[in-house]
Amino acid sequence: MSPELSIVLLAVVLPFAAAGATPLLFRALGERTGYVGAAVAAACFGLLATQYGSEGAVELSWIPSLEVALRFYVDGWALLFALLASGIGTLIFAYSAAYMHGESSLSRYYAALLAFMGSILGVALAADLIAIFLFWELTSLCSFVLIGYHTDDEESAYAARMAMFVTVGGGLFLLVGFLLLSLAAGDAVGPAAAFDLAAMLEEPDAVATALRDRGLFVPALGLIAVGAAAKSAQVPLHFWLPNAMAAPTPVSAFLHSATMVKVGVYLVGRVRPLFAGPEWLVLFATLGLATMTVCAILAVASTDIKELLAYSTASHLGLMIAGFGFTSVLGAETGVFHLLNHALFKAALFLVAGIVAHETGTRRLAELSGLRRDLPVTALVAAVVGLSMAGIPPFSGFYSKELLFEAAVEAGHTYDIGALEWLYPAVAVFGSVFTVLYSLRFLALFVGERPTALGDVHRPAVLLVLPPAVLAALTAVVSVDPELAVRAIVQSGVDATAVETHEMHVSLPTELSPAVAMSAVTIGLGLLAYPFYDRLHRGIRAVLAAVPPIGANWWYDATVAALAGGGARLGDRVHNGLLRTYATWTLAATSLLALSGFAATGTPLPLEVGLEAPIAVALVLVVAVVAGLAVVTAPSHVAGVLTLSILGFMIAIFYILASAPDLALTQLVVETLVLVIFLLVIEEIPRYYEVDLGRVVRDAALSTLVGATAFVTVLVTTDARPDGTTAIARYYAEQAVPEGGGTNIVNVILVDFRGFDTLGELVVVATAAVSIITLIVMRPDRTNTADDATDSAETRGETE
Amino acid sequence: MRTTTRVVVPIILVVAVSLFVEGHNLPGGGFIAGVLTTTAFVVVYVAFGLDFLERGVLGREVEPGKTPSRDRVVAAYRRLFAVGLALAVGSGLVPLVLGYPFLSQSYVVLEGIPIYHHLEVASALAFDFGVYCVVVGGLLTILSVVGAE
Repeated sequence: MSPELSIVLLAVVLPFAAAGATPLLFRALGERTGYVGAAVAAACFGLLATQYGSEGAVELSWIPSLEVALRFYVDGWALLFALLASGIGTLIFAYSAAYMHGESSLSRYYAALLAFMGSILGVALAADLIAIFLFWELTSLCSFVLIGYHTDDEESAYAARMAMFVTVGGGLFLLVGFLLLSLAAGDAVGPAAAFDLAAMLEEPDAVATALRDRGLFVPALGLIAVGAAAKSAQVPLHFWLPNAMAAPTPVSAFLHSATMVKVGVYLVGRVRPLFAGPEWLVLFATLGLATMTVCAILAVASTDIKELLAYSTASHLGLMIAGFGFTSVLGAETGVFHLLNHALFKAALFLVAGIVAHETGTRRLAELSGLRRDLPVTALVAAVVGLSMAGIPPFSGFYSKELLFEAAVEAGHTYDIGALEWLYPAVAVFGSVFTVLYSLRFLALFVGERPTALGDVHRPAVLLVLPPAVLAALTAVVSVDPELAVRAIVQSGVDATAVETHEMHVSLPTELSPAVAMSAVTIGLGLLAYPFYDRLHRGIRAVLAAVPPIGANWWYDATVAALAGGGARLGDRVHNGLLRTYATWTLAATSLLALSGFAATGTPLPLEVGLEAPIAVALVLVVAVVAGLAVVTAPSHVAGVLTLSILGFMIAIFYILASAPDLALTQLVVETLVLVIFLLVIEEIPRYYEVDLGRVVRDAALSTLVGATAFVTVLVTTDARPDGTTAIARYYAEQAVPEGGGTNIVNVILVDFRGFDTLGELVVVATAAVSIITLIVMRPDRTNTADDATDSAETRGETE
Repeated sequence: MRTTTRVVVPIILVVAVSLFVEGHNLPGGGFIAGVLTTTAFVVVYVAFGLDFLERGVLGREVEPGKTPSRDRVVAAYRRLFAVGLALAVGSGLVPLVLGYPFLSQSYVVLEGIPIYHHLEVASALAFDFGVYCVVVGGLLTILSVVGAE
């Protein structure tokens, strides 16, 4: 069954349309806009559910001349991700309606959240590399708006900037990677499908071979990996995710645990069939396991419940990346199954954290415990999803972690990877021990003695508890009958991301295997180490505090500070506010570029220059030259300007002699105007100022350079002109009357044949006028008149 | 100076208009006519001062020392170049509606009109008028803003 274009398109467009209508909706409905959002998300979920079981590509022509089309590709993997996003979105909107009660600028909040959901559905369903990139960056943009929701909070602003910097920066790497990929795909699947990911996935081997033939395999893989790692918070770019917890909790649950951060994982799964190989294995398995371990350790060091969950999210994303990194089919099973499990239990955990923070007023781990009596339902929910996160059998997280262990053990069987064969399973177990530790720590919120300092804890609203309860129920279903989930969606997701097809089965282990032993060791060590949690916690914190450079935040701050400082210094040098500096750089650069252009193309310089000229022309030109010399030696500004206009008028006369009346007229009138403007501003210029020798030399050299460039350009271009009239000139002369209806060829060319150029010049004139207004009227102080006025004369000069 | 201005300015304006109208067949055109018109205004400014147009010609009261951009005349210049740009683009869009490429031009020859007997109306005239408006508006804006300094 192939998908319906209209339904897929509607599911992607609907959230954007709702986002656009949000300000109006908010005016009419107020805080109930959240329910509209939930309805939109549910509608998207319903629309996409009708496509369940379909597979194939549909497309809508977008930029036909560039072969870019709005293609959608629907298969199990895309549907799994899109259904998760819209389904969890429904719960998040309902939760937001209760959680964000009484907050300000909710209109912006809901609009951004809706736009985000549209973008995430776009990433999931788009089959075109350009469209994927656009939706990808849109999710970063929405995330920026949502993290910076508290606009007056310095910390939120910092976190929002950091997330933007890392994820959008990573997106640029991704774009270059996509371009390299499309270069090779053009060879493999034909230029018409160069951006068509669906076509590439049809022939993964041909694309991989084409990439290797061009030597682009490793660069493309690396660039896409950087993009995915930045988005999915992989080490060493994981630091933005804990900071992003400055966002309201529903946003953290939706964007920064269930969907947006998984986009990187999603893409890794998507392109897996194209790149799977030894490079892929080493890159992603190492990256994923490193992230899993480092972030699990950092989670143990956390003091804030949201920070703990954020590091835990990064750690689990590492698990998924590592799963996809293992090239066996078990790896794909790990990635797909854990993506589903993690989305369910982590979103629920964030919502639980939101309830705890909302009802107790604090998020500090040290101040919270024994909440089971105050929040019994929440405690039950937390128990199910928390144990799933820890990977304790028979909860859902156990099955996917078991798959990871199996894949890690088998990693060495497909490719020869040396010592890594032993290292991967060891690291996987080591990291998982910390996962057990922090999961237990989170559950400790609900057990033990209730601290006396904790004030009155009120019961959460039903709407706050319902969404995490739904997610916990789903987690419980997957835990009890994992085969159900596998049959429903995971198997088709695995088929889309795995290289070979394999029927997937998961169940509780009945006999001892290496993976079962690893699970037992993990859980056993975790339970044994838990009594020493506080010592571990303090120890990791002490190490982090003692050596700041091992924290990624430190590197980010240092990089940003260096960039900002360097930018300011460069700005001061280049942008010093003196017109002469700008003029020097502009003129010198233009001249050098022009001259090097001639040199690069090897234009021959005509050596024989005929000097014959009619006596009248010669006379006019001699006067012009004399005037030019007189400008330099003029005793005052007024005299200089007047002498300069002699030069201009001589050129006008030269035009008349050269039978170009239009040019002459224009030159005459413009010359008059320039003269007047010069005289207007001249009194603002200091009468006389000292000029040091260095500047005289610089000005002289610059003038010589500009003059030489003009001379060479005229010489070369006039020499290159063929003898007699060219075809273009003849065409204009012949067609002016029949086509343009005018005998003045110059004017017919201006308004008719080359009307588009003239239009461009009009825009220049208008822009000049606007910039003059801006420069002069909106200037804060009135001391730089001379610069501005000369600037205006110069701009005018260009418009001629 | 002022006497000369009174005599010269109308002549300049008439010349500018004629340059504009016959630009299609003889030397001239929207750009040059626009610059020439601006020159006429410059002569007025130099001879009578910046506020003359408002006070003397339009008979409005002007508070001295007002920010130049807020002057109604400058606002009018700004409007003029905006209108000119819109006209030029608009005249380019008309052929698009009729199914020709952007900015294609045509002309109609009208016969039997009194005095001229034979008049040619080129659609390029509309575009050229746009050019004229942009040049006059743009240059006068620059001039009066700079001049007010």
